[in-house]
Amino acid sequence: MTNETHNYKQLIELAVLDAYGLLEPIESDLFNRSFHDAPASVQDEIIRMQQDFAIDESLLPADLPPASLKQLVLNSVAKAADKEAQRLAPLALIGARASAARSQHGASHTTYFWRVAALILFGVSVALGVIVVDTKREVAKITNVALNNSATATLEDVVGAEFKSFIGDPYCQISHFIEETTETQPAYIRVAMNERYGGGYILGLDLTVGSEFVIQGTTKDGAVIELARFTADGPIVGRTFDISKHMVKGLTVAVVNAKTKKKWS
Amino acid sequence: MRQFIGTLLDVHPETGSLFGFCKGAGLRGCNTWRLALPDKEPDYRLMRRVAIGEEEAIAELYDRFGALVFKLSIQFLSNNAEAEDAVQEVFVRLWKTADRFDPRKAKLVTWVMLITRRHLIDCIRRKTVRPKSFELSEQHQVSATEDPKQSNMLLQERNAAILGALQALPEMQRTVIERAYFQGFTLREVSLQIDAPLGTVKSALSRGLLRLREYGLKDSSAL
Repeated sequence: MTNETHNYKQLIELAVLDAYGLLEPIESDLFNRSFHDAPASVQDEIIRMQQDFAIDESLLPADLPPASLKQLVLNSVAKAADKEAQRLAPLALIGARASAARSQHGASHTTYFWRVAALILFGVSVALGVIVVDTKREVAKITNVALNNSATATLEDVVGAEFKSFIGDPYCQISHFIEETTETQPAYIRVAMNERYGGGYILGLDLTVGSEFVIQGTTKDGAVIELARFTADGPIVGRTFDISKHMVKGLTVAVVNAKTKKKWS
Repeated sequence: MRQFIGTLLDVHPETGSLFGFCKGAGLRGCNTWRLALPDKEPDYRLMRRVAIGEEEAIAELYDRFGALVFKLSIQFLSNNAEAEDAVQEVFVRLWKTADRFDPRKAKLVTWVMLITRRHLIDCIRRKTVRPKSFELSEQHQVSATEDPKQSNMLLQERNAAILGALQALPEMQRTVIERAYFQGFTLREVSLQIDAPLGTVKSALSRGLLRLREYGLKDSSAL
């Protein structure tokens, strides 16, 4: 978690290079991934910054394009589209050519009958296949929704309804921590903070009953503050905590076991 | 229960489940990815129309960004004929890539300028011999129909602002900008040429470009 600031700096650095088209494809992919993972506030900052670069004309020549260029551009795109259509044309002709070849050889009525029958059977098979796949997908989707609803309801019974206010909230930053252990199912804690309205929520699963945890935040300036402290009174714990929306942006979160002082990764 | 909660928590945010989070994102704080592509976003709709080759949409795109694309092309390629060719090629490239425009990642102007810059850097890379330093008279070729002396003077004049800004940068930043941005060398090539780690090259380039922009803004506000 301590390299959050460094990652932020790297991301801004990459954003500048990306805006100027200077990233190689692999680096560009990495940048896109980092951008995707970044908090919404950082994404907005990058979008704004790249836009500023794009519209900045201060160092560009003052020349304007000739009026005739617009038509040339339209023609070029139309020509490229035609070329693309021609390139793809042989694919469309495959069926037509085969059909033309067949007509040259002639065929008996019986042959036509079997061909039509085969085509109908093929069509029916494809349609059935599509229906089966679609049905499976629908069933999976419904099952997933049912599981989610069931889990939401169960979770609500255990930790209360407050956690639902964080569900799907696009303004929430989520941090995810796992206990370092050899257990097959290590405990984990998620910390959600709403960067638009403030407020936070802690959800812990499979916690050791009686353990005390401290949720720490590190500001951009490097100051460490205690955001919340709680003792697990059961394996599943849900807690809200107060935090102002101004503090959320740029805050790096950590979970520390109060007794062992061990930081969760 | 655990399995259900795991399912619940790990589902992608676009499906609308609890705490949509980025799996495998280094477990650090991460955002919920913005929801589905905004069909009502005007720029997104425009690019969908461009993607299917609708002439009115391409004309609208040109009306909005044609001048900007031309100015940048003139800066890179210097003579009008090459710049006009480049503008046409850029718009063909915009048509080809229109369906990849994502308004959640960038504004349309950013996307257009990114495609333009990439194209212009490709143009420079296609030239087999690249100059050893950023000198307009060496770098920019002059068309056969133009008077070379007059053309070079015009180019110097056109690019006076950026040349002045470049001179104001520390040597390292100036060198990497000249080589990567104006001469089309890859960052790895620049790293080998100046015998500096790739990370250092990236940082110098990024800082230099930021300073160039600050210089340009200050300069234009002073006018």
